[in-house]
Amino acid sequence: MVIEPAQGMGDTAPPVAARATVPGVGDRGRRREGEHWSRRRDLERQLHDGPALRIAALTLHLGLLKDKLQAGAGNVQPDIDDLQRQLHTVQQELRAIADQIYPPLLHDAGLGPALREVAGGGRVNLHVDAADARFDPALEGVAYFAVLDVLKHLDADGPPVHVVIRRSEEGLVLDLANVDTRRGGAVLDRIQGLGGAVDILAEPGMGTIRVRIPCE
Amino acid sequence: MRVALAEDGALFREGLVLLLEAAGHDVVGCTPDGDSLVKLLAEEPADVAILDIRMPPEPDGGLSTAERLRAAHPGLGLLFLSHYAEAHYLMRILQIGTEAVGYRLKEKVGSVEVLTDTLTRIQNGEIVIEPVLARRLVERPTGTRRNAVASLSERESDVLRLMAEGRSNNGIAAQLFVTQKAVEKHIANIFTKLDLHPDASEHHRRVLAVLTYLRSQEDGG
Repeated sequence: MVIEPAQGMGDTAPPVAARATVPGVGDRGRRREGEHWSRRRDLERQLHDGPALRIAALTLHLGLLKDKLQAGAGNVQPDIDDLQRQLHTVQQELRAIADQIYPPLLHDAGLGPALREVAGGGRVNLHVDAADARFDPALEGVAYFAVLDVLKHLDADGPPVHVVIRRSEEGLVLDLANVDTRRGGAVLDRIQGLGGAVDILAEPGMGTIRVRIPCE
Repeated sequence: MRVALAEDGALFREGLVLLLEAAGHDVVGCTPDGDSLVKLLAEEPADVAILDIRMPPEPDGGLSTAERLRAAHPGLGLLFLSHYAEAHYLMRILQIGTEAVGYRLKEKVGSVEVLTDTLTRIQNGEIVIEPVLARRLVERPTGTRRNAVASLSERESDVLRLMAEGRSNNGIAAQLFVTQKAVEKHIANIFTKLDLHPDASEHHRRVLAVLTYLRSQEDGG
């Protein structure tokens, strides 16, 4: 009897289709860590370059305004309007960053509504077909950002992307049709921590990526 | 105007009360959650209730509270305030009511003029929608109505966007520097192109025109 050598420490065998399309666990783990920390660094930079700098500038403007008022200089209304406009910009920048951390709508209403909001505001033509099923926050977060990552790599004028989300006996099943199936590896990187699997339902190129993530 | 408000953030709540009073409104009460607002309004009549969307009872207490308020006081105007302008919440708000409702960003009601304009329009029965959201819905339509939407002329799209903000024909005419008659003609064209039946009332068709966009959002591509 021949016993196959184990593939590696703690390697839970991924589904065949996924194993065929992605490199070994070591590379994948390293790449996932790398992306995780570069995303965090990027968020910090956005906070610094946007809202933090803007608020610092606003304190200067307020100082000037105080000076202007003390000097009895007439009309300060345009200054105040400008301050409010800038504060609105700060809010918008903070919202954009919060959405990259965990979109509030994803927490409040789930995957379907959150992805529909992306469909309404995004550059890619997106059709979302989802029941009201809710999953735990980690699963919804992972699935949401995995979809966004796939969308990010698509041309704006490509065929409409169709997302179907449903709950099976095992957990979440999410089909992403009309996408670049070469992103399957990146999707697997994201969902593997939750024991998820990726099936590619086409040859490399445009096709359907199926994501399955188990849950209670 | 008599105004009641519920908002769980103490700083914003206090600031809003100060601004309402500065605008000459009578604040009949303010509470940190929806349940106590319902109790308060059972005793104190008001013209408009201002509700934070995300407040207790979780997760979106503003919406569940508004449903109860609309049932108990049909004439009470409802203004929803949020940090986020999302089509999803707008749909839910329009399911609660298509008259005397408003949905605005918290930091965009920060002046006496804007706040009073918003409250007055709601009291008059209009729908007031944050302009940035109305614009996004009209400019980025998706779904089965895509063709109907694409068939609108540029001017008709402008008119529909202003309708989605809840503007009256007069208001639209003033914004676009055209006559009211021209606006009426554009609106008739929009109704035809969106296939809205002439047997419905004018106000009803207006709301349907706006909802057409929102529904096509919900339906997806």
